[in-house]
Amino acid sequence: MTSTLHRETVENRVFRASYLALLVFMLLPLFVVVVTSFSQAGRLAFPPESYSLAWYGEFFESTRWLRAFTNSILIGVGTALLASFLGVTGAFGQELDTDDSLGAILQPLVLIPLLIPPVVLGITLLMYFSEVGLRGSYASIILAHTLWATPLVYFVMRSVFSRFDWQQLDAAHDLGAGPVRSFVHVVLPNVKHGILVGALLAFIISLQEFVMALFLSTPSTTTIPVLAWTQIRQALDPMVSVVSTFLILISLGAIVIAAIATNLEWLSKQLS
Amino acid sequence: MSEITLHDLEKQYGETTAVEDVSVEIRDGELLCLLGPSGSGKSTTLRMIAGLETPTSGTISIEADDVTDQPAYERNTSTVFQDWALFPHKSVLENVAFGLKMRGMSKDDRQKRAQSMLERVQMGGYGDDDPTNLSGGQKQRVALARSLAVNPDVLLLDEPLSNLDKRLREDMQIELREIHEDLEETFVHVTHDQDEAFTLADRIGIMNEGELVQVGDPDEVYENPKNRFIEAFLGDTNFVDAVVTRTSSDAVHVDTELGTELVLPTDGEPDVDEGTGLTLSLRPEILSINGEGRPEAAGKQPVATDGSAHNAVTGTVENVIYRGSTVRYSVSINGSSMFAERTDASTGAHAAGDDIRLEWDGEDALAFSDDGTRVTL
Repeated sequence: MTSTLHRETVENRVFRASYLALLVFMLLPLFVVVVTSFSQAGRLAFPPESYSLAWYGEFFESTRWLRAFTNSILIGVGTALLASFLGVTGAFGQELDTDDSLGAILQPLVLIPLLIPPVVLGITLLMYFSEVGLRGSYASIILAHTLWATPLVYFVMRSVFSRFDWQQLDAAHDLGAGPVRSFVHVVLPNVKHGILVGALLAFIISLQEFVMALFLSTPSTTTIPVLAWTQIRQALDPMVSVVSTFLILISLGAIVIAAIATNLEWLSKQLS
Repeated sequence: MSEITLHDLEKQYGETTAVEDVSVEIRDGELLCLLGPSGSGKSTTLRMIAGLETPTSGTISIEADDVTDQPAYERNTSTVFQDWALFPHKSVLENVAFGLKMRGMSKDDRQKRAQSMLERVQMGGYGDDDPTNLSGGQKQRVALARSLAVNPDVLLLDEPLSNLDKRLREDMQIELREIHEDLEETFVHVTHDQDEAFTLADRIGIMNEGELVQVGDPDEVYENPKNRFIEAFLGDTNFVDAVVTRTSSDAVHVDTELGTELVLPTDGEPDVDEGTGLTLSLRPEILSINGEGRPEAAGKQPVATDGSAHNAVTGTVENVIYRGSTVRYSVSINGSSMFAERTDASTGAHAAGDDIRLEWDGEDALAFSDDGTRVTL
C-alpha cells in the first residue's frame, strides 16, 4: 500500500516537473522579449549590454507606433463587440431551437473560418471589400477578425448556455416577460460573465492577428503586428520588444479579468 | 377565476405524439388534477395551457377567449414549476415581484404586494434572502407566492411537490388545498401520485399514453373506472382472468384460474355471451378474510355468506408483509397468487402456511373485457 502511494507521488512529481519545464520553455521567449525591451543599444541583443527606458520614451514619441496602438485597440474593441453579439445570439438561438437538424448544419459551419488559411481569407476579403467599397476602412479589418473570433465566442457561449437552467426562461415568459425583457432580466444576468470572457477572447485574437490585417490595412489603419513586421524588415531594434511587451501586458490583463469574472460568482458566494 | 376549455388538443414532437384528442372543460374555481404515469402527456397538456408549448392542433380557450396562438407572456396564466425555477440572481422578494414588474406595477406597489404574498405562504421574513439558500419546501412556497402574485386566471402546478420528502409533501398538499379554498381560483395540478390527486382534487383527469382517459370526481374514477389501466393505476388490486361459462337472468357465472366458479350479479338480463373472456378486479378492501375484516371498514355490509352474489375461495398464506397500518397476505389459490389486506391488528393474525378463506360480494368486483374497457354486466 505504501509503495503504491510512493509510486503515485513519484509519478505526480515527474508529471509536475515536465509540466513546469513545458511552461518555462513556452514562457522563456516572452521573458527574452521583455528583457530586451529595456535595452539601451540600438541593436536587438540578448542579454542587453546596458539597460534603460530609452526605447519606451521613443515609443511614446513615435506617432506611427501610437497610431498603430490606437488602431489595434479600436479594431480589437470593434471585433469584441461584433463577435460577442453574433456569438451570443447564435448560441442563444440554437439553444432555443428545438429542431436539431439546423444545429447539426450550423455547428460545423461556424468553424469554417478557422479552418481556411488566413492568407487565403486575407486575399479573398481584400478583393471582396474592394468590390463593396470597404477597402482601407477599420470595418474591413474588424469584419475579418470577427470571422475568426465569432466561432470562439460561439463555443464559449454554447458551454455557458449548457449550464443555464432553461426553465428560468419558461418562468420569465410565464410571468409575462416577452422575448426581449426575459433575455435582459433573466438570461443576461446569468451569463454575463461568460459573455465578458468571450468578448475578451475576441479582443485578444484581434490584437494579435497579423496575416489578414497585413492584407487589409492601409498606412492609416495599420495595426501593431503589421507595423512591427514592417519595422523588423527595416531594422531589428528594441522597439519591437517594447511593443511586444505592451501586447503581452494587455493580453495578460485580459486573462486576469476573465479569470476574475469566471470566479467572481463563486467568490461572492464564498464571501456572503 | 375562469373556465378553461381544451378542445381536441394534440401535440406532436416529430414522429411521437405526446398528447392526443384531449378535450375537457375545466370549471370555474375548481382544482383539477391531471393524474398519470410519467410520459402520459399531462405536463405537456399543462404547458400548452400555459402557452409554453404550441399545440399541433386543437384549441384552448380561457373565459371564452381563444388563446391557442397567444404566447405565454400574453396569457394570464401562471405556473409553479417542478424545480420551481426561481431566479438565482434575484432576492426572494424580487422573485415574487417579477411578474408584477413585467405588468408595469410601480415599485412600491409591487413590493408591498410581493411582501403580502410571501406572508400568505409563511415566508414573510425571507424577502431579502438569496433563493438558492432556501430549502426545497421554502423554494416551493416562494414559487407559489410568485405565481399567485400576478393574480392569474388559472394557476398551473407542474408536479411542484414531487421533489419534497413525504412528510413535507403531505403538509404542502393540505396547505395547497387551503389556499385553493381561500382564493377560489381555478387550479390545474399535474401529478403522478394518486394519493396526492385524491387529497387535492375536486376532479381528477386521468391521462395515459397522451390521452385523457377519464375525468370525474375522485370517488367516481376510483369506484367506476372506465378501463383496466385506471383500475390498476389508482390502487393495488388483484386481476383475475375469467371466462363466462353460463348466464342466468340475474347473474353471470365465470370460470377462473382460481379453480372455483365465481358469480357476478347483474341488473336484469346479462349482456354477455358464453365463452367471453373477462378480467375481474378484486381490490383488497372488498375481500374479507375468514369472514372478518375489510368490508365493514369500507362502509359496506359484511359479506353475506348465503346470498346469490357470494364468492369464496380458499388458499394458503405464502407470505406476510407488515406495512405499518396494514398487513398484507400473499395467498396461493389453486396455483395462482392473490393478495388480501388486514387493517385491524385485533382481528386474527395469520402466518405463512395457514389456510385462509377469502370472500367477497360479487357486486363489488369490477369486470373488464380483453381490450381493457370496463364491462358493466
